[in-house]
Amino acid sequence: MQKKKWMPFLLLLPALAIMFFLMIFPVFWNLTISMHDVKTTNINDVWPFVGFQNWVKIFQDEYFLQSLKVTLFFVLGSVFFQIFIGFLIARILIERVWGTKFFRVLFILPWLLSATIVGFSWQWMYNDYFGLINGMLMRLGMQPVNWISDPNMALISLLIANIWFGTPFSILFQESSLLTIDRSLYEAAKIDGANPLQSFFNITLPLLAPFLGINLILTSMWSVNLFDLQLVLTGGGPLMSTTTASLYMYKQGFEQGNLSIGAAIGIVLLIINLTVSFLYLRALRGEEA
Amino acid sequence: MTKKNKIIRAILFIILVIFAIYTIMPIFWVFVTSLKTAEEARSFPPTLIPKEVTFQNYQLLLQDEQMMRSFLNSIIVAVPATLLCVIISALAAFAFSRYKFRGKKQLLAGVMGIFMIPITMNTIPLYLIFQRMGLLDTYAGVILAYQVLIIPLNIFILKNHFDTIPVSLEEAAALDGATTMQRFTKVIMPLSWPGLSISFIFTFRFAWNEFVLPMILISSPSKTVFQVAMYRFLGLYSIDWGLLSAAIVIGMIPILIIIIFFQRQLLQGIQAGSIKG
Repeated sequence: MQKKKWMPFLLLLPALAIMFFLMIFPVFWNLTISMHDVKTTNINDVWPFVGFQNWVKIFQDEYFLQSLKVTLFFVLGSVFFQIFIGFLIARILIERVWGTKFFRVLFILPWLLSATIVGFSWQWMYNDYFGLINGMLMRLGMQPVNWISDPNMALISLLIANIWFGTPFSILFQESSLLTIDRSLYEAAKIDGANPLQSFFNITLPLLAPFLGINLILTSMWSVNLFDLQLVLTGGGPLMSTTTASLYMYKQGFEQGNLSIGAAIGIVLLIINLTVSFLYLRALRGEEA
Repeated sequence: MTKKNKIIRAILFIILVIFAIYTIMPIFWVFVTSLKTAEEARSFPPTLIPKEVTFQNYQLLLQDEQMMRSFLNSIIVAVPATLLCVIISALAAFAFSRYKFRGKKQLLAGVMGIFMIPITMNTIPLYLIFQRMGLLDTYAGVILAYQVLIIPLNIFILKNHFDTIPVSLEEAAALDGATTMQRFTKVIMPLSWPGLSISFIFTFRFAWNEFVLPMILISSPSKTVFQVAMYRFLGLYSIDWGLLSAAIVIGMIPILIIIIFFQRQLLQGIQAGSIKG
């Protein structure tokens, strides 16, 4: 069947060409940009070479360091709850309780919307005076909460919105993976006297691990890179409490026009993504062995 | 069914209902607000059901040429970008699924690695590349740029699906003299609808929702896509919640259409296990 050796490469060519020219090559270009002083104003002129100055600058910038802390909290929270709730709901959905078809379709909806739409909808939910949540709290005789105008609360509110936004993907992904597990394994375990918890740790988890790994990587990367939700929901405030590194990159690069700083932060994000994925993969491989 | 089982089922059902309320609330709230007058949208305490249902927000939006034009632009860009992306990914997935070649495993891992590049960061180099290619401010440029959004995930989804199709079917076709392309278009593709549907839906989701790429790559207002126009609209009418909500609802329409018309394919795709990488 495989007479022509070049056939697979021909089939791969369009995808690889696009990925190389529009994804990999720009990363190196960004590296160059981060070593020069490029602003929106001189983008088409000669770029003055500055070496590692931009790199030194960002790691001395307390706002950037603060944004890394915000990112850490935001990503850990998003990943934990998206995966956990995703698994819980997926596990219930495959039990086929009532109306699962309807729930399945409904639950996908948030993930299909744009971050801009999600950001606006939640901003309107959280509105101090006219928002639905405070309206309901007050109707129940409780104190209203300054969801996005209180610097101590805003990051949690952002997290709740992002859990709403991202969990559907984990549900889809995990449900699809759970369905591939042979049900007879559970019955066999039951006959052998295993309780549900034992079945979970000895059957579900090991078989799910590779998929869980991909799910973890995707969810982490999306959370690290996400910025438009914050941009619309809180604008990064109040007091920069919801400015993640990705949003800081966007603001530096596109709002302030400091393209070099933006590029340097972008590379930091890429390094974070690679490190996180590497750690997951190692942890998973450790589990298999 | 035993009594204990019934109680467990009831608890599970309640969890689903709670999650459903969480899921639907923000969407419901925006929809309700879009039907309110500007005064009622800013009334205190907020009303859950509009006292007076009005379509004036939608009428105003339908008269807003910029918004309507941008909606059309989004369709002009997102539909071809989706088709192109699924075809390109399917060809690559076919190669990964059906051929043995050196470095295949590493290449596949590399494809996944590409997914880690933050696209926002690549926007500036893309701007410079497209400037040199004369693709700035063109639909073609945006369609090309959108290809980067989801190719890696598509390749994984489709490869996984192709792997479940028995090779024997193609061998039979090959014996009958089918070429590689015929095997791909006549055997693999028709058998892959669940995987392809998932792939189409995901790709369209990314193409319809993308915000930064079109914002940077498109400069003329007549070519602006909906997400960008909406973002500017939000800044422009930041206090008219009724009008903004109506804009949001209009932005959801294509996604709602997809959900309603493709729900069967989506469910089949989930059941076929197509989504796991």
